[in-house]
Amino acid sequence: MIKKTAVVLMLAVLSSLLGGCWSRKEISELAIVLGVGVDLLPNDQIRLSVQIAQPGAFYGGGGARGGGMQTASWAVSAEGKTIDEAARYLAMRVPREIYWGHSMILVIGEKMAREGIGLIGDFFNREKEPRETMWLLVAEGEARDVLECGSILEKTSAQAAAFLTRMKTGFAVELREFAEMLASKGVQPVATRVIVKEQGAVPCAAQEGVATAYRQVEVSGLAIFKEDRLVGWLDDYETRGFLWLKGETFKGIITVPSPGDAYKAVSLRLRQAQTKVVPEYDGERIRFSVKIRTEADMVEQQSFEDLAKPEKIKALESLMAEEIRAMATTALEKVQRGYGVDIFGFGDAFHRKYKEDWRRLKDRWDEEFIRAEVSVTVEAHIREIGMLTRPAFSPEE
Amino acid sequence: MVGLGKAIKRLLRRGVKDGQSDNPIKKFRGTILSSSSVDVPLSSDLETNLQRLKSIFDKCSDVVFREFVFAQNEQVKLALIYIDGMVDKVQVSDQIMRALALEVAMATGGQKITKAHALEFIRERGLCINQISETGKTQDVIHAILSGDTVLLVDGHTTAIINGVRGWEARAITESQAESTVRGPRESFVETLRVNTSLIRRKIKSPALKIETLRLGEVTDTDVAIAYVESIANEKVVAEVKTRLKKIRVDGILESGYIEELIEDNPWSFFPTVNATERPDRVAGMLLEGRVAILVDGTPFVMTVPSLFVEYLQSPEDYYERFLFVSAVRLIRLLSLVLSLVLPGLYIAIVSFHHELLPTALLLSVAAQREGVPYPVLVEMLVMEVLFEVLREAGLRLPRPLGQAISIVGALVIGEAAVRAGLVAAATVIVVALTGIGSFVLSYRVSIAFRLLRFVLILLSAALGLMGLTSGMAVIMIHLCTLRSFGIPYLSPMIPLTTTDLKDVVVRAPWWAMFTRPRLIAGRRQTRLEPGLKPASPEARPKVEG
Amino acid sequence: MPEKGKIDTKQAIMLSICLILPTAMLSVPAVIIRHARQDAWISLILSIFIGLLVARLIVSLSFRFPDKTLFQYSEEILGRVPGKIVGLLYLWWVLHSNAIAIDEFASLPCVALMPDTPFVAFFIIAIVVAGYAVRNGLEVLSRYIELITPIGLGLMVSLFCLLTTKVKFERLLPVFDKGLVSIVKGAAMPSGWMGEIVLFSMFIPYLNKPREACRVAVLSILIIGIFMVSVTVGILLVFGPDVSSSWIFPVFMAIRAISIANFLERVESVVIGIWVFMGFAKIGVLYYAAVLGSAQWLGLKDYRPLVAPVGIVLLGLAFLCPNIIDLLDFLARAFPPYALIVFELGIPLILLGASLIRGRRGESS
Repeated sequence: MIKKTAVVLMLAVLSSLLGGCWSRKEISELAIVLGVGVDLLPNDQIRLSVQIAQPGAFYGGGGARGGGMQTASWAVSAEGKTIDEAARYLAMRVPREIYWGHSMILVIGEKMAREGIGLIGDFFNREKEPRETMWLLVAEGEARDVLECGSILEKTSAQAAAFLTRMKTGFAVELREFAEMLASKGVQPVATRVIVKEQGAVPCAAQEGVATAYRQVEVSGLAIFKEDRLVGWLDDYETRGFLWLKGETFKGIITVPSPGDAYKAVSLRLRQAQTKVVPEYDGERIRFSVKIRTEADMVEQQSFEDLAKPEKIKALESLMAEEIRAMATTALEKVQRGYGVDIFGFGDAFHRKYKEDWRRLKDRWDEEFIRAEVSVTVEAHIREIGMLTRPAFSPEE
Repeated sequence: MVGLGKAIKRLLRRGVKDGQSDNPIKKFRGTILSSSSVDVPLSSDLETNLQRLKSIFDKCSDVVFREFVFAQNEQVKLALIYIDGMVDKVQVSDQIMRALALEVAMATGGQKITKAHALEFIRERGLCINQISETGKTQDVIHAILSGDTVLLVDGHTTAIINGVRGWEARAITESQAESTVRGPRESFVETLRVNTSLIRRKIKSPALKIETLRLGEVTDTDVAIAYVESIANEKVVAEVKTRLKKIRVDGILESGYIEELIEDNPWSFFPTVNATERPDRVAGMLLEGRVAILVDGTPFVMTVPSLFVEYLQSPEDYYERFLFVSAVRLIRLLSLVLSLVLPGLYIAIVSFHHELLPTALLLSVAAQREGVPYPVLVEMLVMEVLFEVLREAGLRLPRPLGQAISIVGALVIGEAAVRAGLVAAATVIVVALTGIGSFVLSYRVSIAFRLLRFVLILLSAALGLMGLTSGMAVIMIHLCTLRSFGIPYLSPMIPLTTTDLKDVVVRAPWWAMFTRPRLIAGRRQTRLEPGLKPASPEARPKVEG
Repeated sequence: MPEKGKIDTKQAIMLSICLILPTAMLSVPAVIIRHARQDAWISLILSIFIGLLVARLIVSLSFRFPDKTLFQYSEEILGRVPGKIVGLLYLWWVLHSNAIAIDEFASLPCVALMPDTPFVAFFIIAIVVAGYAVRNGLEVLSRYIELITPIGLGLMVSLFCLLTTKVKFERLLPVFDKGLVSIVKGAAMPSGWMGEIVLFSMFIPYLNKPREACRVAVLSILIIGIFMVSVTVGILLVFGPDVSSSWIFPVFMAIRAISIANFLERVESVVIGIWVFMGFAKIGVLYYAAVLGSAQWLGLKDYRPLVAPVGIVLLGLAFLCPNIIDLLDFLARAFPPYALIVFELGIPLILLGASLIRGRRGESS
């Protein structure tokens, strides 16, 4: 009898569960956000812009339901005191449930970034939907522009920006990495810079000779933060210097003058790089010696001289080391002297070695960092020289 | 839903109570051959015996009574009784009738045989039948007649001679329909018990193969045989099988499925704990592993017990093909087993709850497909799954050529048209098709269990997403852990783990490495092949001295 | 004896693993990291020793009273009334621990997956499923555990292997950064968890080889310890101490960060699956201990009738905790002294001492 009652009870419970369906959200009831942008308006309101995917445009195959490139996304904004408030207003304009789980990029407008990202970061970390693996970008100008422009190859600008970042030609920062840098006293955060520019041309099918330029995203350079506030930018060249100091391997080309002819150039493609930061502290002065070891392949040369000789390679190696040192020093100069923030993680390296002193120094680390001496030594090696032993198109000797 | 459950309970309970009140089972048994004439011994008077038998076989137009006189002595009256259509008529007329009525006299030169010696003479010299037996009991006579034997009654004797001249129109041994293989014997069981036992005996030529027979079914009086290899089979299991079979009191057994439901360990479970096959090689393999086979007259399906979960991954062909290939195929079977159970539920859980679990590109693609689909994914999925089952059932019931047409129409027209019309998403069709095909990879019997459980998981997933799906699966797992087949844990040798037996679960070890029989199934004799059989080239073999 | 089934050594090890690990895996690392930062693994190693101590204690008690569980021999040692009181205390503790486990079990899906679903739905699911296993007896429960534990742990390990691309070993440095005090503080909570091995005494009488009880307890503590250490180190290597201490479920977050070749990503559903399956196992084991304990405390012949009432009590207790903040706070602050000092070390020590004294008196008389 008890058994039967129990079975009936369980059936009752199960049926009530079946009737529930509390958290159910049909996929067709969702507005899938691909990119989020946050701007600070002059009246201190936060403007939240989202790029929402228009699913019909993503229908593969027949394409009967597919739309053109122009309708693949919809950018819409709302303002509010906090992100959540803005999101609430946004919900009044978007006829579907806004779904953050697939947002690939978080773009912060320049003004917002200068005011402090800390104001908004909480939303994206505390909420379960936005993933902490989305790329953090700082827009030169307004974040909304990034979301409102299009892309020729990809369906949306958010995807374009995310794929550009993912290729790691520069320095890519996930939201979680930014949070980690922000939390640590030994390193100041950086984020990738994104710019909207007209680039390339799309030939007009109807009229020959007429091409329209499209405003598209470009991901290059870095935004430098002090705590959560944007303090300045690094351009492409400096970013690579930063990468050398930080010890991040990247895909890149280094161009150095030809050993025999300073007006012609040789390009080297990086294979790998290692960076070692060794702090030294005598109780007063902090010194960092940065040792960079790298390997590269020669990929292009402009001059006709024969570089496939040991001594030429040696010369090329030292030129390359010189170039890398110059890059690193430029970035260091600008950051250390210009902005005075330790974005390289030297503080962390110091912490690892002198944990007792660190406790004392960590709260005024940036000042210490400005005063620190940094010496950069580079050891460069060339491994492959491509498929030619002599330059192409060179005249017979 | 609660009300429904209660109603079912009440119904069930009432059924039981009614049964107890006037006990139809016992009463029923007495009605079959109620007359006390059955239990009496044969009389010495032929007329009396014939009278009795005729009254028993009253209105049985297929029973033939043939009376004639013995060639050696006109006084001795003889009678042949048999069922038309169940005996070999040529033998009856040539070897019995002709011999007794004519030829005996020629051979012996007309020597007179007294009435008292007639029976002995007929038995010794008169009949040209190789399989005869004698009985003095009426019920044995009746049973012999019903089984297709021909009974010879001799006037003045209380003993009847039973001539084994059975011969009826039977289906020839053909290729197996339900379990076909690429490599391996083609023959399959037929409906005749004796043919089936001979098929097994031909594979296991050992006196250790025991085939015990008993008769079940109060009306059908069906022959049931228990086959096992003595000293390999676990005696406890053999004894248990016998006890369970002997308990059966039922009017008729038309197929082994009747017995299966009466001897299962867990009658309420979705999962079969008794295996059935129509392949003699498979049965022989099972017997050699220590299992017990139950053969039932009238069906080509032979049951084997204990039957474990692992058997769903195994196919007879696995032991004939090369082991590496077989192991890969087993992995695919395991995959399709999991897919056919979980995939629809997972799809629903992800599409209607956990969108973050799909990669962005896939999500957008699914979203694009679902754009404009009028119903929630649960309804869509249920409709498609039910439709699939309808198509499957239709394909099964229709004549074979038509069945294929049905599946083509179903797959192409309904699937394609529904997607075109925007009624269902293409992804849903893909999922349903995948699960359907996945379930066909497994043996038909177990795929039924998974097919039903799939619907349960679909509902749970629709209610609670991944939580529902995983909870449902946990309950299924716990349920599988509770199951036993004739005392052997259903999930063995995985749970409880028997490491040596894992050689024949997800992968199949090569034959030269399968040293032992399944530990829990086989009885005392565990070793199945001699160690050191791994083939090697002559150079690599250790040199024999001298 | 209310239970007739027997479990073998392998099953017993997995049973003890499931007694502790499933819920500890997800939330405990954050608490340790909050105290000991990148030295969390040292704290964990400390807690392994505490766990081993408790295991030794409980096994030596069980060796003095073979065929008897905690509830039975406490009565034998202390006498009827005090023994019953101790039994009652343990009964409360088992029920409370189980309620906490149920709360934790529900919190991951609630926080991370389905925020709109009320907690009670998950409570009911957990209790119903675990209750189904418990009703079917110790053998079925341990078979279920034997089925899912290797799969669950194996999957977890392979998921962590996928994280190797994001690992930076510098995140573990410097060692001993915060000093010994914070390391010990960090060890308090995991020690409380490790000490739950005390409940293994409920299962020792049902081992088919009772002599191996010590081996089982030690091995399971070591496996749990090694697993926890590797999980914690894994989290630290991926996120560093700052970020991982601010999350409620750092393991879940770590798995969320997996992204390999741009297609092997968003695999946290696997973690949810592991969490649910292993969670049922843990709740089932504690549930079983509670049901068996109360049957023995009441002197019943069969524990099955108690499954439903105990389930209802558990449901009520699970409601005691209003939200996840309180739960985490309780686990981080109150739980270690409450569980460790009273139930995992205190009472067993008293029992052992009393039985030693009584034993000696028994010898002398």
